[in-house]
Amino acid sequence: MPTDNPLDRPSFDYLAGVAGLDVADDHMNELYSYVQAALAVTDRLHELDTTGYEPDVAFDPAQFYQE
Amino acid sequence: MDALELCYMSAGELSGLIRDKQVSPVEIVDAHLARIEATEPILNSFITLLPEHARQAASRAEAQIQAGNYRGPLHGIPVGLKDLFNTAGVRTTSGSRVMDNFVPTEDCTVAARFQQAGAILLGKLNMHQFAYGPTGENFDYGHMHNPWNPEMVTGGSSGGSGSAAAAGQCTITMGSDTGGSVRIPAALCGIVGLKPTYGLVSRAGLTPLSWCLDHPGPMVRTVEDAALSMNAIAGYDPKDQATSLRATPDYTSALTGSVEGLRIGVVKEYFEAPVDSEVEAAVRAALAQLVEMGATVNEVSLPMFADAQAISGTILMSEAAAYHRDLLASDGGNLTPSVRLRLEAGLFVTAADYLKAQQGRARFNHEMAMLFNDVDLLAGPTEPITAPPLLANEVAVGETMVGTVAALTQFTRPYNISGTPAISVPCGFSGDGMPIGLQLAGRPFDEATVLRAAHAYEQASEWRLKRPPV
Repeated sequence: MPTDNPLDRPSFDYLAGVAGLDVADDHMNELYSYVQAALAVTDRLHELDTTGYEPDVAFDPAQFYQE
Repeated sequence: MDALELCYMSAGELSGLIRDKQVSPVEIVDAHLARIEATEPILNSFITLLPEHARQAASRAEAQIQAGNYRGPLHGIPVGLKDLFNTAGVRTTSGSRVMDNFVPTEDCTVAARFQQAGAILLGKLNMHQFAYGPTGENFDYGHMHNPWNPEMVTGGSSGGSGSAAAAGQCTITMGSDTGGSVRIPAALCGIVGLKPTYGLVSRAGLTPLSWCLDHPGPMVRTVEDAALSMNAIAGYDPKDQATSLRATPDYTSALTGSVEGLRIGVVKEYFEAPVDSEVEAAVRAALAQLVEMGATVNEVSLPMFADAQAISGTILMSEAAAYHRDLLASDGGNLTPSVRLRLEAGLFVTAADYLKAQQGRARFNHEMAMLFNDVDLLAGPTEPITAPPLLANEVAVGETMVGTVAALTQFTRPYNISGTPAISVPCGFSGDGMPIGLQLAGRPFDEATVLRAAHAYEQASEWRLKRPPV
């Protein structure tokens, strides 16, 4: 189910650190707002029934072998 | 021959004159360089212009043709490449000053194939930074300007490609399309833009935005030129693991001028979203014309249209962040702030959500494949609006205010998710003289039907004959 606030500020600050972001406070505030909006869009995926569908990522086990 | 006329001739028209030695590649290149000199202060289509390279290549082409070594319809034709196509010995910036000194040692496959066909590279075209934006605004190299009204955006991310083709600066340009970046500027600049099937044109040597959504494609003034371009660049490339082994046809053979018997589905969700009334009228008139020409047009439904933004946005954010992660760490502060925000936001998407989006993509593609059981093409507006003003964060679509990015990408994203071919072809103008595009999409690897319908409509209408005032 979608959430009203997909990422609270303490979680954001923690993840920003994990991601190695080293940004000034002003930018961090702007990024937090942007990330919230972006994740709200991503969150809509949780309403989508994907039962029976595997992730559509291409993988060819032979691709790096010589003929 | 009049220089301006040479600049507005298609590759199809110029090639006959070149082959018959009525016009030389030198004359054509000089005409285009003069056109660029006259219009570039207004349009800013190019990041790097290559006049000496182009003149030398034109002289070589002329000598080859005089000696009887005519290579085919692109021999001597001026081409421009979006500045994320690697070109040996020529800087390739991806629209960022951070990459100002990057000079590839090897051509991308598309550039190599154009060169092999005898085309002449005029320069590298301006673009939205790292292709991450649909407006054609660039704070590092200057914004691109729409030839129909320079106060309006070109659309993006391949904005310089759109303006250069529309204004007669290049005969053929190339763009890349991750969420609409070929078709958006094509529609807003009044030209033809083809996003081919994923895997049909090599991405090797292009700066990625999203590995699984990126599609290189031609941006030209006629559908025939799109077909001629595809003849040169389509097909398997061992350097791109996504390219298909399928044999490629002669795409010009599809240009029969007939749509007799074609079944076209109009995606009803496209008209349930906010659409400008002039755009809707122009697109519906084009569909009516296709019916008069012998096609059948029926309404179809793509319920998952509403999920397209979440699916493609999640995939795009994740992959763009993954590719640019090192750059963010080293030069994040030197990127355009809006691009930096988009890239950094991708670092917060979880692996589970990325895979959920890929599951959603599979379901979306299943739904689209079902639609193609009953129709040969899907149709609708390429854009819900004509070109908005530069630097507008929101645009009015009818009486609704919509974010510019969401508005410009909503009708184009679905075909990046499906990987199916889609074209934008001019279908009219607004009351204030701005172009409108009709989008036609087909089954995977069925570019022939897409090109056939677009060409037949183009030939039956006269939109291609209009020239921008610049």
